[in-house]
Amino acid sequence: MLSPTDRAGPPHAVVDRPGPYCTVQDLGRRSGRRAGLAPGGAMDQRAYLWANRLLDNDPGDAALEVTLGGFVLRFNVETMVALTGADCRTTLDGVETGAWRTIRTRPGQVLRLSYSATGMRAYLACPGGLDTDRAFNSASSVARDGLPGLLGRPLLEGEPLRWLAPDRTLPNRQLPAHLIPPASPDAALEVPLIPGYEWPEFSDADRDRVFAAEWTVDPTSDRTAIRLTGPALTSGPRILDSTPLVDGTIQVTGDNRPLVFMRDRPTIGGYPKLGGTDPIALDALAQARPGTPVRFVPAEPEAARLAMARRESFFEIR
Amino acid sequence: MITFPGPVSALVTLPVAPDRDGIARVLSLEGFTQESLPGVRATIPAFNRLLVEGSPSDWDPGEVESVLEAGARAALRAPPTSPETPTTATTVSLPVCYDPDLAPDLEELAATAGLATGEVARLHSSPTYLVLATGFAPGFAYLGDVDARIATPRRPSPRARVPQGAVGIADRRTGVYPAEGPGGWRLIGRVPAALFEDPTERIARFTPGGSVEFRPIARTDYEAEC
Repeated sequence: MLSPTDRAGPPHAVVDRPGPYCTVQDLGRRSGRRAGLAPGGAMDQRAYLWANRLLDNDPGDAALEVTLGGFVLRFNVETMVALTGADCRTTLDGVETGAWRTIRTRPGQVLRLSYSATGMRAYLACPGGLDTDRAFNSASSVARDGLPGLLGRPLLEGEPLRWLAPDRTLPNRQLPAHLIPPASPDAALEVPLIPGYEWPEFSDADRDRVFAAEWTVDPTSDRTAIRLTGPALTSGPRILDSTPLVDGTIQVTGDNRPLVFMRDRPTIGGYPKLGGTDPIALDALAQARPGTPVRFVPAEPEAARLAMARRESFFEIR
Repeated sequence: MITFPGPVSALVTLPVAPDRDGIARVLSLEGFTQESLPGVRATIPAFNRLLVEGSPSDWDPGEVESVLEAGARAALRAPPTSPETPTTATTVSLPVCYDPDLAPDLEELAATAGLATGEVARLHSSPTYLVLATGFAPGFAYLGDVDARIATPRRPSPRARVPQGAVGIADRRTGVYPAEGPGGWRLIGRVPAALFEDPTERIARFTPGGSVEFRPIARTDYEAEC
């Protein structure tokens, strides 16, 4: 089967090595939630949004989400790309480029992302966004659903890429240091928890445990959920009917451990839930490697709502 | 009852059974919400609940609560829905082969119910079902209600692999597995797998409040469509 990026002429770049897991992502799907569609979208939306902003792209233009690095891209055209997110030592023809900045490329040049030293996911944006298939108004790849960008699958070796404005002329840009999120927290990652759903039905002891424990990011974490190991929470009620979920819902599943639902989450869940995190905190969780210590801290919904409103306004998300 | 599962979302639970009448009331509340609340981005009806998600710049929790309370009161006052009336014009019609070779729980379910397998198929394919919720897997719909005579609890332990297109019953609900995967419902029939080829179509087929009919087909027709 032809890759959807083959359609419109010779590729602007070819993926020599995709690394462990590289997909096309954007802001995800707002529609289709009612029919059971996962939202999808970039795991670390802050990093993804900055990559597009650096190129004067629209906030929802399709970009690559490169998991853990190990990624090599060969350019066929003179163009400019932007790189943000996880700290993968990156070189262009062997010369270190740095990240959170634009990178000017010439035909034949090779961009190489090493395996990430800290963080999980880097974002590579192209002028005008990647030219890929869309479904339900998004190019996001949700592998579980088989939906586009690239037919719902990660990129393969030799994957041709095209984007929509390769000739756009832009100045070199670099994000100022104070705007770049810290690569890894000094202590445990603090995750806000806004109690909700069945929180009142958990025992006092379990509710104390949620905030007192140091949780650890489990290696089974993925784009669906960040799973945490720590003490067992056994007092949640039995749920009779699955309940609609939102971004960042924290559910206690059959193993009595909490998980935080991420972008490829289901739309309903049948286990008891502690509440949810501030959706903006999902960015830092998306970069938390297995073994990262996590602490829940109580949070207020109104502060989270205001932070979300500020982000949408700043990045001009409508 | 109204709770707030996130900074820009509200979840209404109506004090009604999570059945056909319950989802009809939830759908009426959904319509009211979309007309009366500014900046609604998504609504998800499921059984006797409605999730409302809003825009962060428009969301006022106090206003949301009072609008949803008024909507819930109105939805509860409405007369009960007749089980014969589909609530939307669009009905999905799916061919089902009720052959015991393709339906490993059909004979046991029939024996427990004291019915012939053909009678189970007739009872299952008679009603027009309503989509009570979607989820579990992308493209999976919880349909209700099945005739009380063929209602049966799910298996004590789920099967590790249920084939794509398998038709199952759990209590008063029935549904079609859109992809191969684990599942605990009692399997009484099979929809041809060809109907699940296109992921976009497969996922978007059912939406809460939509209607679904099952059309019995012979084994030869099933083989021809597969």
